[in-house]
Amino acid sequence: MAHQTAHHTEAGHHAPVAEHVEEHTTTGINHRKLLMWVFLSSDCLFFGSLIATYMVYRGQSLVGPYPVDIIDVPITTISTFVLLCSSFAMVRALAATNEDRQGAIIFWLLTTAFLGAIFIGFQVYEFNLFRAEGLRIDTNLFGSTFFTLTGFHGAHVTLGIVWLLGLAWIAKKGRLGPKTALDVELAGLYWHFVDIVWIVIFTLIYLIGGFDTGPAVDPSLVPHSITGFLGLI
Amino acid sequence: MSSDPGVHESRHPTLKQYVGIAIFLFVITIVEFVIILPQNFRGAGWTIAPLAILSAIKFAAVIFFYMHLKFDNRLLTWVFLGGLALGFAVVFALVGLFGTYTPSPRAWAQANAEPCLFDHDHGGCVDLAAAQRAAETETPETPAAEDTPPSEPSHTAPAPSGGLAAEGQALFTGRGVCITCHKIEGVEGAVGILGPDLTNVATVAETRQPGVSAEEYLVQSIVEPDAYIVDEYPAALMNATVAGLALTDAEVDALVAFLLEQK
Repeated sequence: MAHQTAHHTEAGHHAPVAEHVEEHTTTGINHRKLLMWVFLSSDCLFFGSLIATYMVYRGQSLVGPYPVDIIDVPITTISTFVLLCSSFAMVRALAATNEDRQGAIIFWLLTTAFLGAIFIGFQVYEFNLFRAEGLRIDTNLFGSTFFTLTGFHGAHVTLGIVWLLGLAWIAKKGRLGPKTALDVELAGLYWHFVDIVWIVIFTLIYLIGGFDTGPAVDPSLVPHSITGFLGLI
Repeated sequence: MSSDPGVHESRHPTLKQYVGIAIFLFVITIVEFVIILPQNFRGAGWTIAPLAILSAIKFAAVIFFYMHLKFDNRLLTWVFLGGLALGFAVVFALVGLFGTYTPSPRAWAQANAEPCLFDHDHGGCVDLAAAQRAAETETPETPAAEDTPPSEPSHTAPAPSGGLAAEGQALFTGRGVCITCHKIEGVEGAVGILGPDLTNVATVAETRQPGVSAEEYLVQSIVEPDAYIVDEYPAALMNATVAGLALTDAEVDALVAFLLEQK
């Protein structure tokens, strides 16, 4: 009950936010929410370009290490699980916000950020391992395209963590609740988007491209040939 | 009210549904992992379709339920799917225009499956297999003529060896992968730029090293590429390739016969 009262008081201070939520728009969609979806939509193009670059230069590295030498699928499967878990924690954070359960909001926001940090930890470990094994961003085309793509994804996750920690701090002050749930929802949309980008990267670079080798010798000698995207078309 | 489905009016899945989706995503990821578990399934062409489909299902589950597009204004779905479609178009267009991905050689991969030790002089991995071979043969700077006696007889009569040269050309453009790095004008596909241009190699080879004949020089350059590296070209690169190929003496002869015709 005390929480409720505190929340109402805080909400009173932030009347403009409440106004934004209820404002009438020609599309019937809140402006901030529409903006977020347009941004995510444009981010598809951003990652699409990086993925295309990876695909174009796939299998064209002339010196090693090649993906087959260093990609570790089991380890990355674990970090993929961690990121999926963080998405679940994120939906719990939004549900807690809608239900105005103050303790739960903070708990799930911090859990999401923590799981995201573990994912980044895996990435830091992986990058360091690759570097020790001779793959740097300037070693070959695989290194350049791999580090650029996964590095930008990692930067997105890092930004998301900062955002979530900021929200947790605001929640600690009791300023998050049903009336400001959109603040949490927008962070959630961003966070889930980062998750789905990873779903694509994991499949493409690790599960499909993780066993790529060096330049082709003679396809007729290959017992189990890997066919590129073009082969599918 | 229905014309203005604000944030808080939109329905959200229940906790039970969220848990169900989380388990669903977990199971799919496990299935994906299991698909590539058997050694000979890894990188196999047929795995691409199921992996892509499973990944698309996960993608859809997250955007429609976790990001609750399914319960939100339809316009948001179109906004996002529009961007996604453009993203896909970029990928397909760029790959279609510039992608040259060809099936990778598994045999080659196995030949290079040693752990990678970083080569600080040349970048990339130190080729352990090649280094081992070099140590075994112990011919650091001996001219090739001495360590490849089987190749001698055929070199005595290069002129009537039309068949041999044709065999050499097939090797040059095929299994030998020479065309990946070397250029020979008039030979289809031979447009590589990483190694020296071999268009007039027979003439060049005559004078490359004093006292070494064109044949000897060519044999040496194939069997022991690092013995003499033409200025401005990378060392070790061809060494690693040749080590992985394990050319027979007869094949080296054929290649040399072909190259001797490039005047």
